[in-house]
Amino acid sequence: MRIHSSSLFLSQVKEARRTLKKPQVEKFDCTQHKQTFWCYCCGLDIESNVTDGNMAVLYGGLIEHMATPEHRKNTHKFWWENKADPKLRDKVIIAEEETERFKAEVAKALESYVEKEDEYIKQQADLIRAQEKHRQEVLQSLLERDAEPESFNGPNGTDVSAESSVSSQFMSQGSGQQAGSSCVDSMVEAPWAAAGQGLTFIGYQDSSNGGNVHTGAVPPWLQDDPLEGTSGAATHSEIGPSLQDFLKQKEQEKLKKLPPNRVGANFDHSSHTDANWLPSFGRVWNSGRRWQSRHQFRQEEGKKKRQKRKKDHGTEGSKKTKATEQLTDFDNA
Amino acid sequence: MSLFLPKLTCKKDIDEVIKAVAEKVVVLRFGRDEDSVCLQLDEILSKTSHDLSNMASIYIVDVDKAPIYTRYFDISYIPSTVFFFNGQHMKVDYGSPDHTKFVGSFKTKQDFIDLIEVIYRGAMRGKMIVQSPIDPQNIPKYDLLYHGI
Repeated sequence: MRIHSSSLFLSQVKEARRTLKKPQVEKFDCTQHKQTFWCYCCGLDIESNVTDGNMAVLYGGLIEHMATPEHRKNTHKFWWENKADPKLRDKVIIAEEETERFKAEVAKALESYVEKEDEYIKQQADLIRAQEKHRQEVLQSLLERDAEPESFNGPNGTDVSAESSVSSQFMSQGSGQQAGSSCVDSMVEAPWAAAGQGLTFIGYQDSSNGGNVHTGAVPPWLQDDPLEGTSGAATHSEIGPSLQDFLKQKEQEKLKKLPPNRVGANFDHSSHTDANWLPSFGRVWNSGRRWQSRHQFRQEEGKKKRQKRKKDHGTEGSKKTKATEQLTDFDNA
Repeated sequence: MSLFLPKLTCKKDIDEVIKAVAEKVVVLRFGRDEDSVCLQLDEILSKTSHDLSNMASIYIVDVDKAPIYTRYFDISYIPSTVFFFNGQHMKVDYGSPDHTKFVGSFKTKQDFIDLIEVIYRGAMRGKMIVQSPIDPQNIPKYDLLYHGI
């Protein structure tokens, strides 16, 4: 096997050596910086870069590995076994002093990187603040002047170029809508921004003699009404139907469940009848309808009474009345 | 002995009962408390009244106390039992000549219970005359006398 001077292995090592003097620290990018490097000599897969999640030292892993004594041993073995070019061998090993130097440089590089990051963040913050301020000013001017939609959209246009995602979204919402509704949008934001400007003041509410919601007073709808006193004490203490009504309702419901074609379904139980009322009774000896039996009975009664009166008036002797005889001796067969 | 069955002593009371009892059979026993057959019947009525309380209300009437009804219902023999439902008179065909009332006593409590059930069911279906479930052998026999006017 020959290690060609232009092989990938050697080119990587060359790159790594270059960073010895000037270590490169970059923001950790998980798509690129997790590459592993195959060391022929040791037969191991080594992480090429060193990272803590936020930043990555390029070729840090490689350099560290090459400095280890095991790697040196393995490299010598490899070179002896494969009879490789000894010139190249030394390239593949990194001396310890070099790694020390490298580490120092790395520390410095990390510091400067962190500083740069902070600066960048501060710059962004300033930018965002400036944009926010500008937006507020625009709103204020809108409210004070009862501005036309054009003046609202005017400053809007200049801001679109800014790269803050939050603020640009808000602005694009405003400019994307119709003229009327964009005013409504701004009105929604206005109360908390205005705090008294643009609202109608209706006077200081004095609740010192009563209470208010903050002091925990009884709410008006639970207080006794001064009007109620005239209608009587009992009416306001009970609500809903009285017990009787309720029971009646229950009974009615039961009735509804009964078959509607039952005998006497429409019979009015509470109708007041006089003393002469007789129930409908199908009599034994008549063949007509039932109500006729009642009629017939009354007729018979009438006749009997007339006859009785006649007899009483006609004669002075006692005569037996034509009462129906009752037979009580009766054998159970 | 009426054995705790309610008594009706005048026409007004009887009218009240017939009109007021709703959705239950009204059973009116016409007779005299001292009569031996009445005593038998009264015992049956009294012992079954609780079990039948959802279907029927049972009352005792002395024939001497309400003569108008005694005449109107044409009661010739005692005891005679007349049935009503929702103010309507219920007729029952016992296999005897008179369908308007039950004359005499029942042989067993079960006969009476069956009869009440049949009357109740018939009434619920809208029938004003029903067939008696009692074995005709157990129906007391009597001669129906025709009182001509």
